Amino acid sequence: MDKKVKVIPCSGIGKVFGLMAREAALETVHELCPNTSETVCLAYIVTGDKEAKEKIEGCECITVDGCPKMCAAKNVSLTGGTVIEEIKVLDTVKEHKGKQFGSPTQLSADGESVVNEIATKIAKIINEKN
Amino acid sequence: MSELKVGILSCSGEECLGGTISRLATRKVLEELKFVNTVTLCLPLYLAGGKEERNFAKVFPTISVDGCNKLCAKRSTEKYSGKINGSVDVSKIIGNENSLNSKIVRNKDLTEEHLQMVDEVASEIIKAISNINPNSYSGKTFRGCSCGDQ
Repeated sequence: MDKKVKVIPCSGIGKVFGLMAREAALETVHELCPNTSETVCLAYIVTGDKEAKEKIEGCECITVDGCPKMCAAKNVSLTGGTVIEEIKVLDTVKEHKGKQFGSPTQLSADGESVVNEIATKIAKIINEKN
Repeated sequence: MSELKVGILSCSGEECLGGTISRLATRKVLEELKFVNTVTLCLPLYLAGGKEERNFAKVFPTISVDGCNKLCAKRSTEKYSGKINGSVDVSKIIGNENSLNSKIVRNKDLTEEHLQMVDEVASEIIKAISNINPNSYSGKTFRGCSCGDQ
């Protein structure tokens, strides 16, 4: 079994929080924990393809969701991934009231800053496991 | 008569550049296209959501936008929601090598060349929208999504 932790965001396309989830996951796997984590396309998981299922089945996964629908967490669980942490972007956003985070297309400087904060939280979880 | 709206569903794949381009091109059309109203839905809502979300492609004439030739958005939409009216495969526009680039995925890493790719894909989405028969609009209402623009 692949030992890399899978970090899977919702990448929601309608609100900035989906972009923040996506960017936090990518910051983690590309910059903070490149040797111990990787991502898997959530859209591929949604297809239900056997190969997609095999990519996450029984693997430790951290999901990152931008809204209360929790699409990443639900889809990963339904497909057989072991969700060890459900990260909710809104939990961190609540600590930054009054800031503008950007749009679903482009983050502002404040948005980037919160993304880095979320990515650091995810990396901490991964590092504590290793 | 109800207003024509077109649904655009992007894969937004996280593993490669094609997913980022699909997402940004979809956003560009949603934000800038004026001759027809466009709406979107987060693709993973098909599984995580309910009946309303699954009716998306039955309610709106829908175009899928996929970052690679796995065509996840197209296949998932047809599996859970119904037949789509057009599809855009980003890998056919920017080439497989570019679309499967797993090094450059984040928005902040994109160059002018990548933004031109976004424009090219957005043009293809608009072409696909232009080919939709206006009579394909069902006139039904949709109230299911907390994430997607409506």
